[in-house]
Amino acid sequence: MKRYVLRRLLQFIPLLLGMTFISFLIIQMAPGDYFTQLQMNPEISPKTIEEMRSRFGLDRPVIVQYFYWLGNILRFNLGESFSYHVPVSFLIWQKLKNTLALSFFSIFFTWLIAIPLGVYAGIREGKWQEKALSFLAYVGISIPSFLIAMLMVFFVARTMVLPVGGTTSVFHLQATGWEKFIDYLRHLLLPGIALTLAGIGGLYRLMKNNFLEAFNSPYITTAYAKGLSSFSVYFRHALRNAINPMITIFGYTLSSVLSGAALVEIVTNWPGMGRLILDAVLSQDLYLVMASLLIGGVLLILGNLIADILIASADPRVRLR
Amino acid sequence: MDKALEIKRLEVSFIPAGKKRVKILRGVNLAIGKQESLALVGESGSGKTITARSVMRILPRSMYLESGEVLIDGTDVRKLTENDLMDMRGRLAGMIFQEPSSYLNPVFTAGSQIEEAIKDSEFNLGSSPLRGEDMVGVKARISRTERKKLVLKMLSEVGLKENVYYQYPHQLSGGMQQRVMIAMALINSPELLIADEPTTALDVTTAYGIIELLKKMMTRYGLSILFITHDISLAANFAQKIAVMYAGKIVETGPARDVFSNPLHPYTERLISCLPERYKTGERIKVIEGHVPDFNALPKGCAFHPRCPYKKEICLYKEPGEITKGTTTVMCFKYG
Amino acid sequence: MKNFLRRLKRTNSLSFYSLWLLVVLYALAILADFISPYPYDLQCREYALCPPTVPHISVPGRKLCGPVVYGIVVVNPAFKEYAFDSSRRYKIRFLVKGPERKIFGLLKTDRYLFGVEEPGKIFLFGTDLHGRDVFSRVLYGARISLSIGIIGVTISFVLGLLVGGISGYFGGRTDTILMRTVEIIMMFPFFYLMLALRAAFPPNLSSIQIYFLIVIILSLIGWASLARIIRGMVLSLKEEEYVLAARSLGISSFRIITRHILPNTLSYTVTALTLSIPGYILGESALSLLGLGIQEPYPSWGNMLSVTVGNLRILTMAPWMLIPGFFIFLTVLAFNFFGDGVRNVTDPKNW
Repeated sequence: MKRYVLRRLLQFIPLLLGMTFISFLIIQMAPGDYFTQLQMNPEISPKTIEEMRSRFGLDRPVIVQYFYWLGNILRFNLGESFSYHVPVSFLIWQKLKNTLALSFFSIFFTWLIAIPLGVYAGIREGKWQEKALSFLAYVGISIPSFLIAMLMVFFVARTMVLPVGGTTSVFHLQATGWEKFIDYLRHLLLPGIALTLAGIGGLYRLMKNNFLEAFNSPYITTAYAKGLSSFSVYFRHALRNAINPMITIFGYTLSSVLSGAALVEIVTNWPGMGRLILDAVLSQDLYLVMASLLIGGVLLILGNLIADILIASADPRVRLR
Repeated sequence: MDKALEIKRLEVSFIPAGKKRVKILRGVNLAIGKQESLALVGESGSGKTITARSVMRILPRSMYLESGEVLIDGTDVRKLTENDLMDMRGRLAGMIFQEPSSYLNPVFTAGSQIEEAIKDSEFNLGSSPLRGEDMVGVKARISRTERKKLVLKMLSEVGLKENVYYQYPHQLSGGMQQRVMIAMALINSPELLIADEPTTALDVTTAYGIIELLKKMMTRYGLSILFITHDISLAANFAQKIAVMYAGKIVETGPARDVFSNPLHPYTERLISCLPERYKTGERIKVIEGHVPDFNALPKGCAFHPRCPYKKEICLYKEPGEITKGTTTVMCFKYG
Repeated sequence: MKNFLRRLKRTNSLSFYSLWLLVVLYALAILADFISPYPYDLQCREYALCPPTVPHISVPGRKLCGPVVYGIVVVNPAFKEYAFDSSRRYKIRFLVKGPERKIFGLLKTDRYLFGVEEPGKIFLFGTDLHGRDVFSRVLYGARISLSIGIIGVTISFVLGLLVGGISGYFGGRTDTILMRTVEIIMMFPFFYLMLALRAAFPPNLSSIQIYFLIVIILSLIGWASLARIIRGMVLSLKEEEYVLAARSLGISSFRIITRHILPNTLSYTVTALTLSIPGYILGESALSLLGLGIQEPYPSWGNMLSVTVGNLRILTMAPWMLIPGFFIFLTVLAFNFFGDGVRNVTDPKNW
């Protein structure tokens, strides 16, 4: 097990290197750099700009810059943001915690709702309940997440039941810890519900199909033949097999946390990674972009690893080798 | 009641989604006496498995029992409620299947799968060698340790080691898997075992072991067996009686020896003459001409007539009834 | 083809009607010049953010009349408040004359499918911030959103077929290198990669350049998964019994590929392609929504939505600005239904 994890991590290193190198190339492909925009500013002398360029190493060849960046990464130094003049790690942590809060909130509720619905539809396959649910799922899959978010913002702005945008209310400074938490949750609700609604349809369909596949397997016939109740057949024999592929899916969900939430964050004005990376890319804030991509890659690796470990512990046929 | 299983005029229909209903069992009559074994023989698609599943009431969703009676030890399973059915399965009759590897749940250990088949209350079947004297007449729940003890005992009965209890199906060989299935089917000491091609997926030596085990269990438990196979020589070797099935009907029944040595129905005759051990070296392989009929378009009259060498005019429009000739019952106009 | 349609209707009627919906949507996009009552960039500043003018066929106090729209009254220009005056009625006429323009850039004509007489205005979906007709813009925007999916999928498919085919066919080191590349691409968070690629190009390009840039970006991201699928198919088909059987019968490679392998992959590929089109449509919408895609004044469904992002006032005052989003939804839904229908029909198990 330990050896397996270690080996998988080692396998991922070349991928991670390849990915960061490609990102570096893509970003450097863009015309000019962050300081090109500053040149327009007459208050900043060209000399200062040259100084800053050399301070950040932007006057050297791309390859050298890449290894310079890589060397810093190995010393856990993500670099400094050009535009904010603070360490990238600080900036990212500020936003990442909001993105993680949003993602975990929506993952939790997506699964909580979609899994039982999928199982229910699997049991009622062919009946009107299943047909209605499946139609709704189609609709859910087809509505873009940003449209759901927009509709929710519209609805909330009309009714004023929830705050829109940001993480805190005006009274935040005087609030107690508990009140602060509730206030945070209230702000989280709008993007959280939008993201949850966007995810339910797809997960429901996966769960339903898995359940049906398990339920149509021969061992279900055996279970009936030995006189088990329908309850036991559904929830012990079929569900246990249907849930295995979902465990892998769960791992992958973890890995797509950053990408999935970005648009909803921007539309609902939730201060997460989405806005940060959008601005960073637009202003060519090199190290900020690189760090965000790196975190995306690391999350993907962790997600895959978690998926592998979970599935190995759940399915006796799978061995970690 | 002196019959372990009696099937009378059983009809089963298949309703594919959005299509017309098709009758696939067209009045099956069958009887198995106590401690008797009967082999149901026929080509694939003749309705053997459907017959077996009708007994257990585990037909696929698209199939329906239309009419007829299925009596296990005098109880009509068609009249049972859902709860009574659950109680019947396993207690009155157990079933084993063709491919043990896919009929065992891959994510549970062999032991737990046998264990969950154990029925709780009313152990008054003292005749079972499995339970021993102290278990006779015990009612209510069986404790965890008792259950495990029971399973371990059953495992040794079917010739498996104790460690199989903790193993998953994929860690067992095909023969061992089938033994687990047998243990599971017999753990409640039913009087009837339905074996649906239990050896087809196994290689010859393993299959031999399973057949020997079934024979042993039959005498030890006083079992009656409905043995389903497409191999008529295996049927003759294993069972006391043979029933030959063709296109959803039993066309010939009788003592195994008589049917095998002196087949009456043309179809049985063909089945036996096609057996490979009947060939001389250099002879061409024999086959039954024609195809298994399509249930959507069964021929009029006797379903076998398009492939029958003895067909008469009457076979083209009339279905033959049952005719008893000696020890055998046959459905064919050749005998009157 | 006819056979295919009949089977589609029988096995999955919902997907059959989705196909018709798609046909209608594409027809609207192609005929946008002719159908839309106004050019996409015509600004009626005095009617900015005007709500939809609903066609009426009966007038209060009177019986039926032809379809009419009421005159728009500006109540408060600062707060964009409007009212409709039912006493001022403008008949909706068909094939009316208007300013001359070219259809498909070729046909010169001054006829429009429908319109009302000046000074009446017909804004079926209301107007945007600059007083442009949302209905007309939705039709023109459809050209971008609907074509980008098809072109993008085609490019991805060619790339995927090439790389996947080579990888699966040659195997060995080629396979390892190509598949590592694919894995690296698939490792990127999709959204970030899209942004980074977009940022790699200058921000101010012409509309047509940006259009092709978006197609290329989306294809560059999308080909990787297709390549993996195709590689897997090639690998398994190489070992398929019927291919081996055909080979042992001495049938030429060309015939094996065209007669045995391709027909077997076709159904799967067509399904995969249909179902991946929505991804491209959504990708374009997302980029345009963030202001990185199609630039004003040319409309796309995505950039028409972008004014509502982070602007609660516009969103609450003019919910009809979300109509393009509804069209995105409708298109994606139709493609999803249709794709599933194709899968059902082409799956030999369902014949």
